[in-house]
Amino acid sequence: MRRDFLKWCAYAGLGLATPFRFSRIARAEEKKELPAYEGPFYLVFNAAGGWDTTYLMDPKGIGGINRLYEKGDILTEGNHKFAPNAKHKEGGLSNEDFFAEFGNELLVFNGLDYSVNNHSPCSRYMATGKLDSLAYPTFAALVAACQGPACPLSFLTFGNYSATGNLVAMSRVPYLGSLQRIANADAIDGNERSPYHDKSALDRIEQALAKQNAARNAQPLLPRQERAENMLYAAQVNSKALARVTPHIPKDIPKQRLAQQAEIALASFKAGVCVSANLSIGQFDSHANNDKDQMKLIPELLEGIAYVLRRAEELQIRDKLVVIAQSEMGRTPTYNKGNGKDHWSIGSVMFLGPGIQGNRVIGATDEGQFAVPFDPQSLSTHAKDGIRIRPEHIHDALRQFAGIADHSYSQSFPLGTKVDEELKGFWT
Amino acid sequence: MTARKARIAKTILSSTILVLLAVQAGTLVNAADERPCPAVLDSWAENFFATQVWPKVGEAECLKCHKQAGDAEDTRFVLHDLDLAKPDERMERMRINRDAFVRMARLKSDDQPVMLAKVAGGLDHGGDEVFKTDSTGYRILEQFVRQVNEPASAPSLKSVVDTNRPPFFDGVVMVDDRRLLRRALLSLAGRLPTDSELGTIANDGLQALPAILDSVMTEEPFYDRLREGFNDIFLTLGIDGNADATVLSYEHFEKTRLWYQRYDLSHVEDEKEQRQAGYKLANDYRAALLGEPMKLIEHIVRNDRPFTEIVTADYIMVSPYTARGYGIFDEVKDRFENSDDPFKYIPVRLKALVGRNKSENQESQTGFYPHAGLLSTFQYLSRYPTTETNRNRLRARMYYQHFLGVDVLELAARVSDAAAVTAKYEIPTMQASECVVCHKTLDPLAGLFQDYWRFEANFAIYGRRKEGWFTDMFAAGFEGEDLPADERWRALQWLGEQTAKDPRFAIAMTEHACYVLTGRRTLLPPKDIDDPLYDARRRGYLEQRREVEAIASHFAETGFDFKQVIKDWVMSDFYRADGLATAAGTPERLAELDDIGVTRMLSPEQLERKIAAVFGHPWGRLTDQTAMLYGGIDFKEVTERATDPSGAFGAIQRTLANDVACRNVALDFSRAPHQRILFPGIEPDVLPGATPESDEQIRRTIMHLHQRVLGQYDDLDSPEVDRTFELFAGIVADAANQGGFEQQEIWSCRQGLQKPVSDLHYTVRAWRAVITYLLRRQEFLYE
Repeated sequence: MRRDFLKWCAYAGLGLATPFRFSRIARAEEKKELPAYEGPFYLVFNAAGGWDTTYLMDPKGIGGINRLYEKGDILTEGNHKFAPNAKHKEGGLSNEDFFAEFGNELLVFNGLDYSVNNHSPCSRYMATGKLDSLAYPTFAALVAACQGPACPLSFLTFGNYSATGNLVAMSRVPYLGSLQRIANADAIDGNERSPYHDKSALDRIEQALAKQNAARNAQPLLPRQERAENMLYAAQVNSKALARVTPHIPKDIPKQRLAQQAEIALASFKAGVCVSANLSIGQFDSHANNDKDQMKLIPELLEGIAYVLRRAEELQIRDKLVVIAQSEMGRTPTYNKGNGKDHWSIGSVMFLGPGIQGNRVIGATDEGQFAVPFDPQSLSTHAKDGIRIRPEHIHDALRQFAGIADHSYSQSFPLGTKVDEELKGFWT
Repeated sequence: MTARKARIAKTILSSTILVLLAVQAGTLVNAADERPCPAVLDSWAENFFATQVWPKVGEAECLKCHKQAGDAEDTRFVLHDLDLAKPDERMERMRINRDAFVRMARLKSDDQPVMLAKVAGGLDHGGDEVFKTDSTGYRILEQFVRQVNEPASAPSLKSVVDTNRPPFFDGVVMVDDRRLLRRALLSLAGRLPTDSELGTIANDGLQALPAILDSVMTEEPFYDRLREGFNDIFLTLGIDGNADATVLSYEHFEKTRLWYQRYDLSHVEDEKEQRQAGYKLANDYRAALLGEPMKLIEHIVRNDRPFTEIVTADYIMVSPYTARGYGIFDEVKDRFENSDDPFKYIPVRLKALVGRNKSENQESQTGFYPHAGLLSTFQYLSRYPTTETNRNRLRARMYYQHFLGVDVLELAARVSDAAAVTAKYEIPTMQASECVVCHKTLDPLAGLFQDYWRFEANFAIYGRRKEGWFTDMFAAGFEGEDLPADERWRALQWLGEQTAKDPRFAIAMTEHACYVLTGRRTLLPPKDIDDPLYDARRRGYLEQRREVEAIASHFAETGFDFKQVIKDWVMSDFYRADGLATAAGTPERLAELDDIGVTRMLSPEQLERKIAAVFGHPWGRLTDQTAMLYGGIDFKEVTERATDPSGAFGAIQRTLANDVACRNVALDFSRAPHQRILFPGIEPDVLPGATPESDEQIRRTIMHLHQRVLGQYDDLDSPEVDRTFELFAGIVADAANQGGFEQQEIWSCRQGLQKPVSDLHYTVRAWRAVITYLLRRQEFLYE
């Protein structure tokens, strides 16, 4: 099955300046159903606007950095240190409960240096690992393109920076009900018992389209034409697999915004039609009343992550689910006049999933919330000779982790990290 | 060759050789004092400067600071930003830049080239390290310095550009004139060409197209498309909340903005209907308010006014409903043809704002609101609000993006340690070079919006900061020129005037037109100088850039006639490119051509219009959630249209094809033959294989369908027609072989017929399959 899937993935030769011919192969396979993508699945949670890491996984409690707790109040769970917030949170899941339930699986990196502190470039940088290019794909898009380009909803996004590098189409499915709409497209009102065409007629339509696609590809085409022709054909043919999503759409729609996004992603994962998804909640940009906002949003984010993990357990895909939680920046170690915190170019990122050894904290910030230089070889801080770990280092590690670092798509978007700057043993 | 072609060719020619000739011409001049410089580079070094040093080092890095109003403007090494130069100034400025590089390349400190030391972060370089010494950029500069100082001993430079390469569009096939006409008309007016227009094109060729477009650009659907296209850029429909509250503030329109709540609807007797009428009144009013900015653009184009008015117009557009909101209805009501039409707009000058509190009154030397086109509309200001900490910088950023085509955050400079910089400097944005590089440009612009300093649009948009504008920001101004004190009350008008004179304005508007026509933005220069395809990508960029500049130049020459920009784009090779004569043989050629051709997946709105044009009525289901699924935007959270189809799109396309065919095939056969759109020359009883005549009749019908649905002009015995014929005949044969089918269409596909249509031979359903097949094709779903 895995081999079948990879073959199908190869059919959708999408993007770049030199797309290979796809239609002639696909024509022979057109009657076969797209095999299910079986994982791993990647979920990227974005705390859009800039989370306050000192109220989560990188607690300080000194120097006026936090008004809600002191250094002595900092809690631990295994190797994790975290800020207490059970008494201050407004809804959602407390840090205490989150780390108690998931700390053993959780890998935290602190002291990530975004280099800049504006939303737009930071979002791009954190999502792609490249600061100075608009062309690079996000990790979620890249892994989808490498591992499941034929999947009809290969890369789902619910917001945040979502560039694809022209490697894979992005899908926005805003509501759970939307999934129902796109299943069974050849039946009237989606009712399988009322097809528009008799099966033989529909088969002939598909055959005619396959021949026409092959004929088009036999002509010399401009790169955009060839790419469009193949992407369109793949989208239509592979969309039939969306019928598999229907059984996994829950009857009861959750109220929480992250949980709604998660259900769409999880149903798509379970149906084998999706590789990755960008989930996003905004309003972290707490320039005014930082503590109040962060005490509402961090618990909401953690509740969303917990929801995903628990539902994935129910759907029996938890062991294939990789979760990344990130934000485009941190918040300053000082409060402004409006009790808010402004942009800070140092932050953190969290990982959880199969192949990731949890109960670990790598990297650090100092008491002033500055990044402590880091030795990527020993994975320890090294104030004198260490380097600044930036998004490209994290993305380089992610590509290695996902097994796509040597894929031609990844090679087309090099991160420029040096060999001796690779994060050795980061995941285990 | 048309005059326009000649002009573009001239521009391309001059641009192509400018960098070469510029450096060959005469003496060298220092950038700072522009005195003659005695040295002359050999031709290879000139070529090397033009193709390597300038794009990969000078323009890409040095220019960020070493320019007028840049952070390094006070140094001896000041370069000209060629984007700010008019076309006829470009060559001279390039020459000056080259000379500045030569002069710098000669400077030495301790016998080491200053230039190389500086870019490596030495000699107190304000910009710290720009290139590592093992980087490509450094090596290019190193080679240049050696060539300048020791031309005899310098190794021969690698050939970097093949000067004998064929013309850029060599081997690219242009779309035929009839299909170009169809493409342009569907795009601009959502309709198919008339027989008369097709005849004109057939007789007179491409040169007849501009006149046809002139006529098309008087049609109402063109203005619908114009507003739609520009809203995708300005996104003013995406204002939060109800427009009557977030456009018209409580502070300045307290008594009038909710006029609809007091509107007399007593003539509607039924209580429920009266309530519904009230809802409609409010909704129409809000929609009319939201529509004002794009109506301004429509007004300018419709009346052939200079397009610079989008930043200089001393008026706004109001409708009878919105005029009530502004409290000016009684003053202007006589100017409305129909004062009950919420969506008929007229230009109006507002009086200076009067606040509930005297302190909130607007200062004005004329007594009028200082309108500055879109810039000063409440919709634009509300869509891009300020915050206490943002200090109008969002507005400044959007201004640069919208009106000068500059994305100031596109390629933010990397800071070695932004957190440390933030902590080290009291005012990093004015003191830290890493921050100053952008803020020196952005913050003065933000200062021009200083009188719009309120944070809740519902309460106020206009309002001055009590303490005066911030002193820890660069003072209000534009590109190095301070805002004169006596212009402060009309700062946005002052900005509009500066904008209209800025050569980047015409470029930006030309790029917007390209976006409206093709759905994608013009190319950015490639940045990865280590990319082996860099030169090819750079050529692709430069060729498109030259076209943009040529069209922009014509735009300015014609008094900023936006219709001219549309016509020039449609006539351009970039819009007409439609294929290749032979397959592109090399990765370099593929990279050059990567963005050529329109090949645009139609948006939900465009697809509905195309269905209406082809079938006589829209599908009507590409709306709301389905539109969003199909890549639509909501102007708020989702602001970029999807450009590539996912499986979700594929599913919607299949549904669309199935359903549109279902609704239209039997319906068309139920019409009298002369009224038919799809099948005017055939009946359901014409069977394939029955006689040669019947086969020809079927083939001619297919030719007609290909032309109508796909815009293809195929021959009777072409492979395309063969394929469709085979589909049709195969389905009819399958049905005959299987037998036992119902002798009429399925229930859903025989609704609303003008008369019953029998399907004794399964031909109606076979034709439906043909239409389904055609609707799923790229030629239909793409532009």
